[in-house]
Amino acid sequence: MPPAIQTDRLVKRYAKVTAVNQVSLRVEPGEIYAFVGLNGAGKTTTIRLLLGMVKPTAGEIWLLGKKLQMGGAKPWDKVGYLVETPEAYPELTVRQNLEAMRRLRPGCPIKAVDEIIEKLGLTPYADRRAGAISYGNLQRLGLAKALLHSPTLLILDEPANGLDPAGIVEIRELLHRLARQEGVTVFMSSHILAEVARLANRIGIIHEGRLIQELDMETLERNRQRRLLVQARDLLRAQAALAAAGYQVGATPQGGLEIRDARAIQNPEEIATMLVQAGAPPTGLVLEEEELEHYFLRLIGQAGGEAA
Amino acid sequence: MLPLAGGLFMIILRDPELARKAGIISAKAQILTGSADWGTYLNFLAQGTGIGGFALCSFILIWIFGREFSDRTVKDLLALPTSRTVIVLGKFVVFLVWSALLVVWACLLGLLVGAAVNLPPAPASVLIQGLLTFLVTALLTVWVSLPFALAASVWRGYLAAAGLTFLVVILAQVLVILGWGEYFPWAVAALYAFQAAEGNVSLGGVSYGIVILTGLAGAVCTLLWWELADQSR
Repeated sequence: MPPAIQTDRLVKRYAKVTAVNQVSLRVEPGEIYAFVGLNGAGKTTTIRLLLGMVKPTAGEIWLLGKKLQMGGAKPWDKVGYLVETPEAYPELTVRQNLEAMRRLRPGCPIKAVDEIIEKLGLTPYADRRAGAISYGNLQRLGLAKALLHSPTLLILDEPANGLDPAGIVEIRELLHRLARQEGVTVFMSSHILAEVARLANRIGIIHEGRLIQELDMETLERNRQRRLLVQARDLLRAQAALAAAGYQVGATPQGGLEIRDARAIQNPEEIATMLVQAGAPPTGLVLEEEELEHYFLRLIGQAGGEAA
Repeated sequence: MLPLAGGLFMIILRDPELARKAGIISAKAQILTGSADWGTYLNFLAQGTGIGGFALCSFILIWIFGREFSDRTVKDLLALPTSRTVIVLGKFVVFLVWSALLVVWACLLGLLVGAAVNLPPAPASVLIQGLLTFLVTALLTVWVSLPFALAASVWRGYLAAAGLTFLVVILAQVLVILGWGEYFPWAVAALYAFQAAEGNVSLGGVSYGIVILTGLAGAVCTLLWWELADQSR
């Protein structure tokens, strides 16, 4: 089966600005791929390139095995998308907006509108004008338009934007279900790594137009920095005992000790035993994992040549 | 509006003194030349269509295309199994159908108002000639509005394209005064209506050709722009 999305050294330049620079992606069918980057990193431009909305300056794109060409026939009947902020005809109701979209997708059954309204929790707002609903519900309407025709490939730009916490969980579960049960491929962008880490199988990190890292969840977990934080009444004795055992011990700004040694992180109980035996029993032993956001900033800081 | 204004002018033309006494016009008003009959009335409708009809048609077209950009819904139309060409053609068809309905409506209302203000009976040839002038003027006006779909698309909304409409209306007046109107596509419809009223249409094939090519170029360029231009907003 061909990859759902494949790009080969994709470049998009606007005058002197290179918005997307040599991006090569490969997203397998049924995968949830999160495309993460700061605002202005090139996420939306990449999505517009994938949807044929802008012409690449260089490089090629294949969607569902078909090469994309401006103005050419494309596999849009199998693709659902949401780009940037959700928009709708303000004077039409939610239902009428979806009906208009259904008519632009030949073969999409009439009942699809009611089904998607129910699926996205839009039933109470179905007959309200789109111009009079909240941003969160407009986002749901945008997702409903993307999902209306049961696509096999979903391309979503910041799908959780504007949703309340319950809405975010709901959409996350919906996308999970679509990928697991129906084999839908999801390509989604976000500027919040922690938000997509719970959902994605694979993550691509884009910074200043370049894809700086692609990693699966296991690699992400492996790459995150961990440290063991030690508190004791007699910190000097504890530090001496740890140093004597060959650990690199540092001090934390909060007045405790930290060990980044993998042996200590994997066996914190050995540290506890050793400190007890050395006469400096620990009053606190915490295994701390680097925040995803910190990891992300560290990564793009390295890519930008500066310390995060 | 135009047939009603025409009807009012017919009342004034028929009895200016009565109009003055009734306060419809000022005592110092310079009354239109012509007489209150079907020929003058239908010519008035054609001339009004040539001048005001263009602005109306271009505003309709600007709304049909420009709204997708002002409401930012255009991005929902760009990656669909229904091609962009079909969507643009669909918008043009809607514009042409609306325009045709407006023309029919203006014709029927014109005849109704003409009868209501008791215009003296005229031979069928006068009515046919008057309506024909009106229809040709309307056709030229509708067709020459097509490039404004491109203006609304390229400038992504109503405002700049509406501004261009005003500019073109003013430019048409200036060029007609300077004697170049027959070569300016947006002046041809009004010129045709005025010349037809005088019974002496001197516009050549070049003028009609310019109108046809302008409309065609506007429609084709709109299609190409939607199909090929970067849609990065």
